[in-house]
Amino acid sequence: MNADNVITNKLILAGLTLLAGLLGACTSTTVDEFRQGETGITSEESVVILGRRQASDYETDSDFVSCVGDHITRGQDGIDVIPEQEFIDAMFPWFEPRTAPLRTRDLERLMAEDVVASKINDFGIRYIIWVDGFTETTDRAGSISCTIGPGGGGCFGFGSWEDDANFDARIWDVGSLSSVGTISTDATGQSYLPAIVIPIPLIARVEANACSRLGAQLKNFVNGS
Amino acid sequence: MQTATRLMTSLRARVLASAILAGLLSACGVSNVVIEGNYPTPNINKLPLSIAVYYDDALRNFAYIEYSETGKEEYNIESGLSHMDLFDAILPAMFEQVVRIESMDQASRMSVDAVFAPAIEEFQLALPAKTKLDVFEVWIKYNMRLLSAEGDYIADWVVTSYGKTPQETFQSVEASINEAAVVALRDLASSFSLSFTQVPEVRDWLNTL
Repeated sequence: MNADNVITNKLILAGLTLLAGLLGACTSTTVDEFRQGETGITSEESVVILGRRQASDYETDSDFVSCVGDHITRGQDGIDVIPEQEFIDAMFPWFEPRTAPLRTRDLERLMAEDVVASKINDFGIRYIIWVDGFTETTDRAGSISCTIGPGGGGCFGFGSWEDDANFDARIWDVGSLSSVGTISTDATGQSYLPAIVIPIPLIARVEANACSRLGAQLKNFVNGS
Repeated sequence: MQTATRLMTSLRARVLASAILAGLLSACGVSNVVIEGNYPTPNINKLPLSIAVYYDDALRNFAYIEYSETGKEEYNIESGLSHMDLFDAILPAMFEQVVRIESMDQASRMSVDAVFAPAIEEFQLALPAKTKLDVFEVWIKYNMRLLSAEGDYIADWVVTSYGKTPQETFQSVEASINEAAVVALRDLASSFSLSFTQVPEVRDWLNTL
C-alpha cells in the first residue's frame, strides 16, 4: 500500500464520517396542542412569556423563554411581547420563584391586589404564557484523545450524545382569569463529534428547533388562527 | 557603565520573578467574591409607620468563607453591603417613613414607631464541584428583629431565603456565586415584604397602634 492510497482511504473515511454525521445530526420535533378556550388579541394588547423556576432540580432557561418571545414577535402577525425580566422587575415581588401564581386561582387572588392589577393593565397584558421545561443530554458515548508534540498536534476519536428538549407552554387569559390551553413540544436529536486531526462538531439544534416550533404554534394559538 | 546595566537587568529579573511568584501564590489563595446586584422596589401597599433601621457591624461586614474539601479557604463571599442595599430598596416601599440609624441610642431620641434590626444567622453555599449537580445554590437564614424606640422587644422571627443559578459553560464560579446570592436576596425581599404583617407578634403589635 503506497502513501497515496493511505491518504485516499483517510479522506474517504473522513467523508463518510462527515456524511453520517450530517445525516444523523437531525432533530425530530413533536408539538401537541390542547385548547380549552377561545383566543384572540388586538394590536393594543400584549403577552408576557415567563419561565417556571419552582422545581428544585431544574429551572427553565431564560434564553429559551426569550427565544420563544422573539419568534412570537416576528412577522406580519407578530404579537407584542413584554420582556420577561422587565415584567418580573416591574411586578416585584409578585412573580418571584416563591411567590409566582401556580394556578389560575392564584392569579385571581393576585389580581385582587390593586397594585398588581394596575401594573398588568399598564402593560396591556392579555395573556400570560408559562413555559416550563428543560433540555437533557443523555447517551454520551465514545472518546476523543488529543496529543501535541514538537511537530504539531491533533485529535482522533469519535463522540456522540443525544439531546432531548421537553417544554410545555400554558396560556392564561388575564381577561377571564382562566387557562385557555397548553402547547407541549418535544424535540430530540443525536449530535456527533468526529475527530480526525481536528474535531468536527455536528450538533443537533434540538433546543433551537423546539423554540421555533413552540414559538410558531403559540403565535397561531394566541391569534386564534 | 556595564556594571550599572548588569545591575539594572538583574533588578528587573528579580522584580519579574517576584511578580510571577506573587501571581502564582495568589492563584492558590482564597478567591474574593463581593456580592453585587440591583434590587427592584416592591409594588406593595405602604404601612403608615415610621421605622428606624439599624445595621449592626456583624451585618455590615458579613462575610462567609467556603472551604475546599482539603480544608483550605476557597471563596470569601462578602455580602454585607449588598444586604444593606437590599433593605434600603425594600423598606421605603413597605413603610411610610424610614430612617437609618448608626446606634440604638439614636432611636430613643427620634420619634419612630419601631426599630428594625436584621441579622444574618447562617449562610450556606453549594457548589457543583461538591454536590455534582448543575446548579450553584445559596441558602441564607435571617433573624429579623423589631424593637421599640427604647430598645424593648416587639417581635423576633426567622426568615430563610434560597437562590440557585444553573452552571453555565463560559461563566466563572465567582459570577455564578454572585448570581445565586442575588436570587437568594430577591427571595428574601419577596418573602419578607409580603409576610411582614402576617408574623403573629407583628400583627399583634400593629393592632395596638
